Amino acid sequence: MTGFAASVAPAVRSRLTVPAARHLAARTLFWGGMYLSALVIFGAFTALRGADPFAMYHAMWQSTVLNAYGRGQVLDKAAPFILCGLAVAIPARAGLVNIGGEGQIVIGVTAAGGVALALGTHVTGTPALILMGLGAMAAGALWAAIATVLRLVGNVNEAIATLLLNYVGADVLNYLVYGPWRDPAGNGQPAAKPLPEGDSLPKLGSYAHIGIVAALVAAVVVAFALKRTSWGFMLRCVGGNQTAARRAGLKVAWLMMSAMLVGGALAGLAGMIQFTGLEGQLRPGIAATFGYTGFLASWLARHQPGKVVLAAGLLAGIAVAGDSLQITSHLPGSTVNILMALILLAMLATRSRSKAAA
Amino acid sequence: MSVLITIVAGAVAGGTSILYAALGETISERAGVINVGTEGTMLVGALAGFAAVVEVGNPWIAIPAGAAAGAALAAVFAFVVIYRKASQLATGLVVMFLALGITSLYGASYVSADVHGFTTWKIPVLGALPFFGRVFFEHDPLVYISYFVVPAVWWLLFRSRWGLLIRTAGERPEALRAYGVSPSLVRLVAVTLGGALAGIGGAQLSTALALSWSEGMTAGRGFVAVALVIFGGWRPLRVMGGAYLFGAAITIGSVLQVHGVQVNQFVLDAFPYVLTLVVLVALMRREGQQAPEALGQSL
Amino acid sequence: MTGIASMAAPVAERSEPVTPLLDASKLTIAFGPVVANDEVSLTVYPSEIQCVLGENGAGKSTLMKILYGVYRPDSGSISVDGQPVVIDSPLVARKLGLGMVFQDFRLVPALTVYENVALAAPGSGPLLRRREILGRLAEVSKSLGLDVDPQAPVRTLPIAQRQQVEIAKVLVAGARILILDEPTSVLAPQEADGLFEQMDQLRKAGMSVLIITHKLREARKVADRLTVLRGGKSVVEGVLPETMNDSELIEAMVGRSLAPLPAERETMPKERNVLELRRLKVPGQAGLAGLRGLDLTVAEGEVVGIAGVAGSGQRELVDALAGARPWTADSFAVGSAELRRSDPVIALRSGVSCVPEDPVAEWVIPGLTIVEHIVLARMREGNGTAGRRRLGIDWKHHRSKTGELDAAANLEMAAMDRQVATLSGGNIQRVVLTHVLAGESTLYVLAYPTRGLDVASCRRVHELVLACRAKGAGVVIVSEDLDELLLLSDRIAVLHDGHLAGICDAGTDAQEIGRLMLGAAA
Repeated sequence: MTGFAASVAPAVRSRLTVPAARHLAARTLFWGGMYLSALVIFGAFTALRGADPFAMYHAMWQSTVLNAYGRGQVLDKAAPFILCGLAVAIPARAGLVNIGGEGQIVIGVTAAGGVALALGTHVTGTPALILMGLGAMAAGALWAAIATVLRLVGNVNEAIATLLLNYVGADVLNYLVYGPWRDPAGNGQPAAKPLPEGDSLPKLGSYAHIGIVAALVAAVVVAFALKRTSWGFMLRCVGGNQTAARRAGLKVAWLMMSAMLVGGALAGLAGMIQFTGLEGQLRPGIAATFGYTGFLASWLARHQPGKVVLAAGLLAGIAVAGDSLQITSHLPGSTVNILMALILLAMLATRSRSKAAA
Repeated sequence: MSVLITIVAGAVAGGTSILYAALGETISERAGVINVGTEGTMLVGALAGFAAVVEVGNPWIAIPAGAAAGAALAAVFAFVVIYRKASQLATGLVVMFLALGITSLYGASYVSADVHGFTTWKIPVLGALPFFGRVFFEHDPLVYISYFVVPAVWWLLFRSRWGLLIRTAGERPEALRAYGVSPSLVRLVAVTLGGALAGIGGAQLSTALALSWSEGMTAGRGFVAVALVIFGGWRPLRVMGGAYLFGAAITIGSVLQVHGVQVNQFVLDAFPYVLTLVVLVALMRREGQQAPEALGQSL
Repeated sequence: MTGIASMAAPVAERSEPVTPLLDASKLTIAFGPVVANDEVSLTVYPSEIQCVLGENGAGKSTLMKILYGVYRPDSGSISVDGQPVVIDSPLVARKLGLGMVFQDFRLVPALTVYENVALAAPGSGPLLRRREILGRLAEVSKSLGLDVDPQAPVRTLPIAQRQQVEIAKVLVAGARILILDEPTSVLAPQEADGLFEQMDQLRKAGMSVLIITHKLREARKVADRLTVLRGGKSVVEGVLPETMNDSELIEAMVGRSLAPLPAERETMPKERNVLELRRLKVPGQAGLAGLRGLDLTVAEGEVVGIAGVAGSGQRELVDALAGARPWTADSFAVGSAELRRSDPVIALRSGVSCVPEDPVAEWVIPGLTIVEHIVLARMREGNGTAGRRRLGIDWKHHRSKTGELDAAANLEMAAMDRQVATLSGGNIQRVVLTHVLAGESTLYVLAYPTRGLDVASCRRVHELVLACRAKGAGVVIVSEDLDELLLLSDRIAVLHDGHLAGICDAGTDAQEIGRLMLGAAA
């Protein structure tokens, strides 16, 4: 080795060794390749149905990122997604799998709608919003509690129980809007009476509502609670090894219950936000797939509250971009699920995981 | 009596699609993989089967088409969870979304299509039996095939060498590796095979039971199949019982309505799911429900 | 069984040169900076029983894993039947006729005996050669004197029988060299003799047996030749047992001699009982008997050893004392408090601290550091407010407390910010022991406290146990090592099938205790 090379080499090596750089390049290429192939496969899927992929991607980009209205929509979608993600992340700390965000948010919507109907025009404005929020959170928590009781008392896998309860939750909403709560003045559509004008969630700027603020505050509080409090510490113990936690004297059942209650309450709150911020009227299929999307956001984020926000934001962006598919490419609305699924598969597949449980 | 016969016969007809899916899931879970994506594999199977029959005109094409579509989707799932070690539950849900998207994109043009699907065959002699004839031997051919698939799956799992490998992959995968068998490969094959069965189940739904295609028509049947495997204790015959129980829960409403009993539609819709939960509670309290030890674990 | 040693026909006496069945030469393997095997050589001749002696961490298990193809050596060579071979997977090892009986048995508990055997038997394709495998199994079972239902799930078998099934499995698969890793740790002395008898039969049938053990007595009883490992090196290679005496062998194993524990102990005033159990019943799990009405007292300043064949109720006793398993009893008193029900919090608050039987399953929480484990372990002590700060945890307090415990126990615990789950079994044991033995308790319940520890650490643990005794606390020790129990205990309670088979004084003969372990009336 010449003197020159010898004098340079250490400086270079201290920054980045050659194998490390090669490794990084390979990883980047692998990652990029995976995402690119997700986009290409989706393009191919739609092209087979006669859409022009390039025009389609262009429209998707236009409608979300380059457009103030679109950006507002993304924020509005992200709010419930974040909350539903947190509803998964908290129980996950205690080792519980909550796939029931779907049902919990629907029950939250229903409760918020029920409170609105009960209040009518007697209570309006902020007090009404607070009551709706509390009602939705209580209802979401209750819905989560059912599955938890089945787990703790009946030894039924909570993932399965929450999953099945999603369908029951949807039926509760359907029953009410087709039956007792149906607005007779409605134009034949099965829907409840609309929320009074003044009871909507306040706006944030001209395009978004303040739901996103609530969701971000919730994320910060949850992050603090999980990381800094003894409750969060105990949840981690329970999630890591239930037997060990029990032998150390922790009240495992109560801790699990508390995690599910808080999770359910957040999903319920998401329902209230969706209801008062956007929908304003109970209808069948409201907030459908929000719970599942939140579930995926939380798993992508490995149940870290901060990352849940990012993942939920990404998924919200894809969902909003999907709306443009219907308008510009005349494709069915759920087509965007393909793109979302492909990107999620790419993300799940490119992460090297250590031994992970279900 | 006739009401009872109608309900039980309806249970067999309505439970068969779930039976196929649950048998597939049994194989998959015996190998250690929970595939919540079964909801999705059923859905693509339903569309593929339906579309193939519409295009070809022969109902039998539904079986290979549904099986191939289900197997393909399950193989994607299996690859990601086995070789990329992704979470089984999360990936399962992603696969469900993928199926929702794909079937909505390609299913749009089949929504009101006419199909010459499977028709009811009344089996001679057996079909004439009192009660059992109507209940078991007056159905579409896919129901009859399922009568053979149940013992076949049982034999595969509990009497064949491959079944031994599958069950070991679900109990102690590292033990397989010590015998020179790749647990990853065993799991991949098991999950793909399970997906093929779920695909056939979906095809039964669209080409034999409903004789139509609609978006999201599986309506949670795939999830129910996952639950049924648990309450069937990972055993084919008990899974069969569970599937028919669920089938009965679906049928009972419409039969009651025909007989003039007024029950709210949404209560009836929720009933099968609630029933599944109740039965799970009743069964899980008992001892002896042994899940495969490595179920849900990455390798 | 006394005849075994005399039956041994030393290979070295044979006149004609014999090709070794297995010849491993200068095997070296390093894991990072740790050289686990350093030029280790081992030769196994046909029809011999060889023991590989060494204490924990000497490199015995590593050597076996190299021979079995789990690890590949960095250097060195192996030949079988005089032919050089590369064993790069257990599959290759089995094809060469090496059969391994692991300490933790590699049977799949959910499968039946027959299915476990079928899994190991050579085969391909979708079909099982059921009749052929069952026939081979019956043959091997007969030669081993094993009476087990081939259709019984392995999970339902007692541990000693599982070991037999494992051996049968390896034999059906066609092994010529049987490697047994610490085979007697789960057996009563008489059962161990039975096992050695079997091995002798196998040797007569032309097989070779390699037994890994740290028990000198057993090695003397059964071995044709001895190899001793210490610190990853083979310090003694294949000598005849009679050429070395016990102290020479111990010195070879340990490398230095340890001063014995003081034999004379202060007699404690045993006025008050710290533990009083009357008719304690604990349901067992998975077909085991559990405890069926145990009477036991432990006085202050008393060490009571619990002996018994694996699965005789030891686990149930430890769990009941820790409040981790439901029990019923006419009386269950710890210190001055009468306990009414099973609850870990009640047990902790009445002064019981416990080293569990399986720390990885029952104590270790993946992802948590040592300090965090100490925090968790102390969470329910006292009124539960110690070390809390408003909503959070007073980490500073716990860090200094952890440091104090470490210093007091002096067990070479790992750095307190290490994640416990990433430590080796022995180092996990050190963390648990540091927490339990350096803490203040009324009653110490120690399940297999020295498992996975080297001789010096074992010695330190024994000192700590005696220190607890000297403080006036009661100690219950469960161990499979009778020598350890005899060394530490004031009395030894022998369990058999969920009953108390007898209580022995410290001076009782090991054979007598063994008799009780196997159910003979006291």
